[in-house]
Amino acid sequence: MPSQQSLLLSEHYGKPDFAKLEGYKKHGGYAVLAKALKMEPKAIIDEVKSSGLRGRGGAGFPTGMKWSFLPANGEPRYLLCNADEGEPGTFKDRLMMERAPHQLIEGMIISAFAIGCKKSYIYIRGEYDFAKEVVAGAIVEAYKAGLLGKNILGSGFDHDMDVYSGAGAYICGEETGMISSLEGLKGQPKLKPPFPAVQGYLRKPTIVNNVETLAAVKYIIRDGAPAYKKYGTEKSPGTKLFSVSGNVVKPGNYEVVLGMPLKDLIFDLCGGLKPGRKLKAVIPGGSSAPVLTAEEAMKATMDYECLAQMGSMLGSGAIIVIDDSNSMVDLLQVIMHFYHHESCGQCTPCREGTGWLSKILHDIASGHAEVKDIDLVKKISEQMMGKTICALSDAAAMAAISFVTKFRSEFEQHLQAGKRTLGSSAHA
Amino acid sequence: MSLVKRPTASAEWFLPGILAGMWFTLRKMVFNIFHQSKMETLNYPEQKYEYGPRFKGNHVLTVKKDGSIRCTACMLCATNCPAQCIKITAAESTDPTVEKYPIAYEIDVLRCVFCGFCEEACPVDAIRMGPEWQTAALNGSKFTYDIQQLAYRPQLKGGIVSVLDDHERHGAGI
Amino acid sequence: MPKIKINGNEVEVPQGSTIIQAFKATGVEICHYCWHPGLSVAGVCRLCMVQIEGMPKLQIACNTEVKEGMVINNTSDVVKETVRWGLDFHLINHPLDCPICDQAGECGLQDQYMKFGQYDPEMAENKVKKHKVVDLGPTVVLDSERCILCSRCVRFTDEVSKTNELGIFNRGDRCEIGTVAGKPLANNYSLNTVDICPVGALTSKDFRFRQRVWYLKEADSICPGCSTGCNVKVNYNEEGLWRIRPRENKEVNGHWMCDVGRDSYKFVNLKNRLVAGKVGQRGSWQEVTATDAARSAGLKLRETVAQHGPDSVALVVTGQYTNEEYHRLFTFFTVNLESNNIFHWMNNPETTKDFDGLLFRGDRNPNTKGVVDALGSFALKAKWEDLQSQLSSRKIKVVVVAGPENQAVFPDMTEKITFFAQAESMIWLTAGQSEALNQTGAETWQIPLKTYIEKSGSFTNVQGKVQTFKVGTTIVAQAFTLSEVVELFSGQELNWNLRPHSLGGVKTNYSIANRGAL
Repeated sequence: MPSQQSLLLSEHYGKPDFAKLEGYKKHGGYAVLAKALKMEPKAIIDEVKSSGLRGRGGAGFPTGMKWSFLPANGEPRYLLCNADEGEPGTFKDRLMMERAPHQLIEGMIISAFAIGCKKSYIYIRGEYDFAKEVVAGAIVEAYKAGLLGKNILGSGFDHDMDVYSGAGAYICGEETGMISSLEGLKGQPKLKPPFPAVQGYLRKPTIVNNVETLAAVKYIIRDGAPAYKKYGTEKSPGTKLFSVSGNVVKPGNYEVVLGMPLKDLIFDLCGGLKPGRKLKAVIPGGSSAPVLTAEEAMKATMDYECLAQMGSMLGSGAIIVIDDSNSMVDLLQVIMHFYHHESCGQCTPCREGTGWLSKILHDIASGHAEVKDIDLVKKISEQMMGKTICALSDAAAMAAISFVTKFRSEFEQHLQAGKRTLGSSAHA
Repeated sequence: MSLVKRPTASAEWFLPGILAGMWFTLRKMVFNIFHQSKMETLNYPEQKYEYGPRFKGNHVLTVKKDGSIRCTACMLCATNCPAQCIKITAAESTDPTVEKYPIAYEIDVLRCVFCGFCEEACPVDAIRMGPEWQTAALNGSKFTYDIQQLAYRPQLKGGIVSVLDDHERHGAGI
Repeated sequence: MPKIKINGNEVEVPQGSTIIQAFKATGVEICHYCWHPGLSVAGVCRLCMVQIEGMPKLQIACNTEVKEGMVINNTSDVVKETVRWGLDFHLINHPLDCPICDQAGECGLQDQYMKFGQYDPEMAENKVKKHKVVDLGPTVVLDSERCILCSRCVRFTDEVSKTNELGIFNRGDRCEIGTVAGKPLANNYSLNTVDICPVGALTSKDFRFRQRVWYLKEADSICPGCSTGCNVKVNYNEEGLWRIRPRENKEVNGHWMCDVGRDSYKFVNLKNRLVAGKVGQRGSWQEVTATDAARSAGLKLRETVAQHGPDSVALVVTGQYTNEEYHRLFTFFTVNLESNNIFHWMNNPETTKDFDGLLFRGDRNPNTKGVVDALGSFALKAKWEDLQSQLSSRKIKVVVVAGPENQAVFPDMTEKITFFAQAESMIWLTAGQSEALNQTGAETWQIPLKTYIEKSGSFTNVQGKVQTFKVGTTIVAQAFTLSEVVELFSGQELNWNLRPHSLGGVKTNYSIANRGAL
């Protein structure tokens, strides 16, 4: 497989005028929308289904299938674009919204047309001020050009779009949490069932898709499903934006086909590690994804199946590269502090468990713990897994378990070293 | 053979036993007159015996450093009391760090069996049983000990300060 | 009716019920906090975990509907382990100040930890500090540290009282229940939040620190606060009544009752009661036993009828007595005394029809419908105006008044007493003490009556439901029911063997009394 970028979504990121409607139209913008509006909505859904597009937000659920869950009862339905990109290490959606907002809007109008929805919202993360500005500006442009509003491009299809934002809570990136926030409630996930596709925003059928997913719909319709399937592997077709961060020479957003070896991505595209450093671990899909050791990372290919097989996940595609200059103990402490801070406080195991883990890891990091506390971290994490409404607790637990099992010796060494330096006075 | 030992004829003569007892008493009396310091008994009430601090005598309510009563009016002592002699009336405290406190704490010492269960039950070391043991009084009403008597009686010299300290307790996250 | 299997036993449950409802209906134990039958499902405590055959993960019983053929299990090791840890998670930031917590003894966390908990907690970190003694409103105090964030109270104010005062603020383990500044928890149903709080986070200002719950006994009764007739549980001990809480009855009050009704224990307690008979006038009273008072009053009544005919006596009743008492009293008047002068004293005719949409009604008598029905069945049609004219024309010599036991809801007490005192003599049957009687010139017999908790009988509520209740306890041993008074009026004797004893003696610790020998 070639170790190079396959530019589809990020093809025109470098062109400053691409963020404006004029520049976007220069590069064939909204031509696909015109094409899609002439198609049958059912045909679009089928096209997306057959392309095998999987949700790019983290869970990797097939998009076409999600759309087909909508009940055909004529109720008003909503399309929500999840642009609450809160996963630590992820910055792919921000770049797209800042540099190619029309690409997202076009993809959304096509998707909305496919599922027969008259109103959609883009829920942008609270901290993304510039992205909010750009997307809101792009929507105004689109309204002026008749691409939104009544009778889009003379097709008889009406669609309205709006931008909303929360106050910057990680949990609002969870689809039902986002719906709660959008409804004006406290941003807390809701019980499932009922699923959003049946009863979501304002208790109406709702589809929530990630920014990248919705933008990819445009390219599926433009090139057709077979052409799209040429990218990537059989079960994970298409391209994917990876946000590479950490100890690499050239961190940034990279669009590559799914199934590319992680090794190529790090060492070829990103320029490898800094001289003299050794790869220690890689988190392949944002902080919630279980960490991979250096050996595992060398073998991994970046697709849903391979990573699932390795006990990790592709997640949002945030690759965090860790070299030997970093302490895994400190890293896990920071991750746990994040989850403790971001737990919405609804379900007990998560509310209390993340706090507990964070406190224990603080103790471990400062050397005030014993080896049995490492086992306790694992025990607590196991009890947090799969016991809550949303996946935040699972995410925290999976990260903790993978760190303490794969790097247990480092934790033990840290504790012993801490004992030596702290001496007996620290325990008094 | 009968297993019951019947008194023999010689045992029906009680005089030797009586004389032996009298001799013992007389001997001790003479001994005590000349060796008063080695005497096994006390001349109560001129002399009083000092029991060790672990003796379960009269109740003491401990106080905090500022002299206020430590009891939180949880009523565990009253609940646990087998003689049902403790009567507590709780009230809300004006101090924000104290939730409730007893406005009345009465022990009916005539009912009390000095079992020490109250001391055992107390979660905050608020009631102890001290080495004082004289409960005699002239008036029936004196047998109901109130807070004044339990915590601030003159013998306690301003009250016994409990070793538990609130700041330490809060610092330990309790 | 789907058939399901719970822990190996096949049971049939109604269609559409959730697993937890099936558990409750079949009496199988299940640990839970946030679920409440009267509220929506929150699914946040994560304790009602069950294993369902064919599902990979454990499911919460409160949000899973039963389906035909489901095989459910909550006794497997996985479930037990999960519940144990779930309880431990609840206790991580719970202060464990049970000794000074008012909920101790009836606390969901205590009970369930004893039943399902792990007894070997591994938490050694410091607990999160939150606000203590937060004044939420005129009736409720919050201790945030004890709160386990089950959100029952929040859901109650959202869904039942629909006043939305409470909310959960902040997030994670810093979450706290609270109110918005300037909007205190001040509705007529606020104390229900205290009832449904599974821990001691919400406490009632009225009951807080007054009694430990293991010193209390419980009796079922009917709330006499208004014509709704909520089913209640009354907590009492040797010192008197302490609180009233709602008892579930889907047809009348659901799971709730109003704050006003909760005050209806106060007039029952000894210091507000008439404890013996009193005879005299203008405040100079001669204390006699209740029996003597009733006997002499009865004699006076019969003599008056013999001298001046049946129309010289009158009976005034309020809507606060039982159907049985009305029947006995009306029979005595209409048959024995042959008088049809029976009048119904309405305390607040202008607000009688008021209703707040949930439970509380403007008619503050428990048995108005009962008295109206009884008057109808005896074909009594005397009007209040007749009483007025007959009193002012001195035609009525003796007026018998079955006054209100709950005097607080009779704002016209003083005015009416002066009005009745126009007669030569007044026989005043009541449970409470009335200051206004000291001012009147009529020769008065005060005869102590029992309150609702001290007698058996039935009330007919506004829906026409006849609700029976039994004796809970006795506060005033001398007091009579109206039926007993009638026995004495008519010169008969009571069965003294059946007379109750008064309250008193040493307060019993029921937790020890019930657990048997040490």
